[in-house]
Amino acid sequence: MPLLNSKAVILHSQRWGEADRIITGFSQRAGKIRAIAYGARKLKSRFGGVLEPFNLIQLTLFERTPTSLARVSQAELLESFSAIREHLHLMGQAARMATLVKAITADHDPNEALFQALVGGLRALTTTPDPQGVMLVFQIHVLDHAGFRPEMGSCTTCGSSLGTARGWFAPWSGGMICAQCRHTQSGPCLSMAPGSIAFVNQAKRLPFPVVTRLRATGQVRREVEEALDAFIRTILGTPLPEIASWAAEDEPRYALPVSSARS
Amino acid sequence: MNDRTQSALVRLTRELVRLPGIGQKTAQRLAFHLMKVDKDEALRLAQAIQDVKERVTFCVQCRNMTESTLCEICQDPKRDRTKILVVEEPSTLHAIEHSKAFNGLYHVLFGALSPLEGVGPSDIRAHELENRVKAGGIEEVIIATNPTIEGEATAIYLTKLLRPYGVRVSRIAYGIPVGMDIEYADEVTLLKSIEGRRECP
Repeated sequence: MPLLNSKAVILHSQRWGEADRIITGFSQRAGKIRAIAYGARKLKSRFGGVLEPFNLIQLTLFERTPTSLARVSQAELLESFSAIREHLHLMGQAARMATLVKAITADHDPNEALFQALVGGLRALTTTPDPQGVMLVFQIHVLDHAGFRPEMGSCTTCGSSLGTARGWFAPWSGGMICAQCRHTQSGPCLSMAPGSIAFVNQAKRLPFPVVTRLRATGQVRREVEEALDAFIRTILGTPLPEIASWAAEDEPRYALPVSSARS
Repeated sequence: MNDRTQSALVRLTRELVRLPGIGQKTAQRLAFHLMKVDKDEALRLAQAIQDVKERVTFCVQCRNMTESTLCEICQDPKRDRTKILVVEEPSTLHAIEHSKAFNGLYHVLFGALSPLEGVGPSDIRAHELENRVKAGGIEEVIIATNPTIEGEATAIYLTKLLRPYGVRVSRIAYGIPVGMDIEYADEVTLLKSIEGRRECP
């Protein structure tokens, strides 16, 4: 990849040296990439604020050798999702999205569906009355496109069909297990109602932005959140960072209070 | 050049190369320069470094760098004590002081909130600022954190933290740098400068 020109979402931007930045982005054509933008922090830098996290940009990179850090040659802003920067809660949710994509993907592994989910997820955050709900369906999509689709229709241990009864999600097995296998396995399992299983299945099928119309409330939301948290913790070896209390309090005015969304 | 001299030079080069913005070549050039100059001149530099490390501390009020309990700015009776300008680092404070654009007091946070890195209010000096405002006498707090995602998060948080005390909380303006051609400005700067436009005086 000596020269790459692609759309990309900035996942992380870190200060480097006197006035440079090292960016991590998820690009449409080359997957996760890291590059250095020389002079990006200088007042008259041509990059300006384009390389800030969560921006969708048109990026041109030059890579001298496959092992060296690529150099940002050009960057143009396509979409800034500026509403995210106005609320700490939305910044926190966007940071969780970026952290998940950064952690679950390998370098230089393009994934068009995952790229579209990332753009769709960030775009949905700017308009949704329910940022936690967007994060929920985003996690389902990312797991699906990254090759970790949770098996919700049949038992991951014996392969039997689960039907419409309450089931058990086993994060260590990558999906549901049946009542019989649950008694023979020692790993932790999370109980899931048929509504929760149906929610995950529907969320997997619908693309962004249609999927954001799905609403999970009360028990369904709680069960799906717990199952996804446990599954992601198993895959990454570490949980996704929680939104700190100082940020969680700053929700956009149109957002539903957490209590009413879950009641 | 004997082994001992060489090792002292190598050691000096190694120390210099650790400084920001100094590469191997520059470090070597500086090391050879220091070797060539008078002993007194070289020792003055060594003494200045030692003095900085031994004498310079942080102002108990604003956390600016100082050699006494309070920095020169906090001690100056001519400063406007009703205004506090909040910056991330002492280097920003010095850049603003150099511009002579502000005559009030400062508050150095030593960082910025970061939802991506997990840096919270207890990691920066946000509550020291709150205590200064709570103590009274402050009419305006100007937030001059960097226009990055971290700087924005800090500005939002501080605004919510300080507004209940009845002070005016303002943010420095974004826009086109003076002397620059607008056609070369990036999209974000242009967008912000149009959003933050003001009526002509």
